[in-house]
Amino acid sequence: MRRETFVSSRGGWALIRSTWLSWMQYRSFFFILAFGWMIPPLIYLLVWSTAAGEGSISGMTRGAFVAYYLILILVNQITYAQTNWTVGDLIRYGQINKVLLRPIPPLYDALSSEIAGKVVYLVFVVPILVILAFVLKPELDLTLINGLSFLPALIFAWALRFFWGYWLALLAFWATRADALLALQDSLVFLLAGQVAPVALLPGALKTLAVILPFRYMVAFPVEVITGQLTRSEMLTGFAIQCAWMIAAVILYALLWRFGLKRYSAVGG
Amino acid sequence: MKPFRLIGSFMRASFQEEAAYRTNFLISLFTSLLNLVTAVLGILVLYGQIDSLHGWTLASTLALLGVFLVVSAVRGLFISPSFDSLSGMDGEIWSGAFDFTVLRPVNTQFFASFRKWRLFALFDLLLGIGVLTAGVIQLGVTLSIWKILFFLAMLVVGMTILYAILLIFAALIFWSPGVLFTWVFDGLFQMARYPTNIYPGWLRMVLTWIVPVGVITTFPARALTDSITPVELIVSLLLAVVLLAAASILFRVGLRKYASASS
Repeated sequence: MRRETFVSSRGGWALIRSTWLSWMQYRSFFFILAFGWMIPPLIYLLVWSTAAGEGSISGMTRGAFVAYYLILILVNQITYAQTNWTVGDLIRYGQINKVLLRPIPPLYDALSSEIAGKVVYLVFVVPILVILAFVLKPELDLTLINGLSFLPALIFAWALRFFWGYWLALLAFWATRADALLALQDSLVFLLAGQVAPVALLPGALKTLAVILPFRYMVAFPVEVITGQLTRSEMLTGFAIQCAWMIAAVILYALLWRFGLKRYSAVGG
Repeated sequence: MKPFRLIGSFMRASFQEEAAYRTNFLISLFTSLLNLVTAVLGILVLYGQIDSLHGWTLASTLALLGVFLVVSAVRGLFISPSFDSLSGMDGEIWSGAFDFTVLRPVNTQFFASFRKWRLFALFDLLLGIGVLTAGVIQLGVTLSIWKILFFLAMLVVGMTILYAILLIFAALIFWSPGVLFTWVFDGLFQMARYPTNIYPGWLRMVLTWIVPVGVITTFPARALTDSITPVELIVSLLLAVVLLAAASILFRVGLRKYASASS
């Protein structure tokens, strides 16, 4: 058992390394993708910071909007799970056979492209954010407790978004067109996860939806934590809801994977 | 009349191709409505917090979104599908199938610009016109026939500029296959959802004169909801002519450079 886990983690590492190397070959392609993902939050950064002008909107000044959105761009890039789109295709075209035959859990395959992707994207995104920060002058009051809480919030956000997208993608075992759901998810993330506006600025009903549904906890929540928008109790409730959704997503992933695999018999097989 | 007959048969062929995938129709319907709802909600959220933004109100920003959706629909109707089959991923330049395109007895630029149609975009066009109308009604101004004609003229100018830019990006593939230039433009084009004068000065300059996405949407919207100066009209008209000429020349030079995929 122990030997097996060792082999599997070593194999997993080799997979991660090789995936990363092959991704770096297509740098420009991924830079362009990352550029595309950056634009919508960047538009709202400019819209809101212009709207705030010299004054403030719901207590947020121009500099606060800039800080909020620059961190949001970073968090969005770190948590964006592009694997969700590819896993569905693997299942539909039967290429997942190759992954299933490997003596390591198929999750490693998704994780390796996750990590490879993150590194390539961040190589592009971080320098741009630094330049933007110099040009746009964000204002951020960073407290120790907010800074320390940011890291777990970010990791949970990534895990939630990853497993949430993964279980949606696994629906491809049953329906050949699950991509529409992923598009719906992207729209909900756009509306409810702090992109179109910080959650605190959303009108009543949308705000309630944002707090209850999982999407805010995939992107906005860590940003709200580090920018100090939340009171202590809001932060604790936030962590509780985030963890609950994350556990739900992992369970859904495990169940769908098990039942889906039983149902699966490759394309043409 | 030959060009029109050809376009008619391109449309028919594309429609037959598309009609084979019927579930795609439902998914396209869903995606279109979803995009519309998110875009409108985005504007509503913004104007829920403020009344006006550098002279733009909820009504005029909605009208601008309508223009953006109309222009995007026309782009999705034939410009993008046609150019994608040329220079997109798995496009003809990558695969080398472009050899056969060059051989056809029609003008290559004409053929490459009009050959693929995605008729579903007509639905997007209707949605765009709907949003535009809603914005104008909200605005509560009476439109003279001159204003409408002026608006339509600006819209045609804007679309010509859009076509020229996309042709330039498509032509760049002759020099550097593998870089998806259109994707970069897609990102910048998203900025045209909002009026250019809300962006900081340097970006406004870029969006008006270097990658003139502002001229494509903000100018027509202003012609309708506000007013546009004769100077702006003449300058944008000139810009359209110059860009179109430059794009055509670039495409022709690129065409001469094309040496199939395997060499």
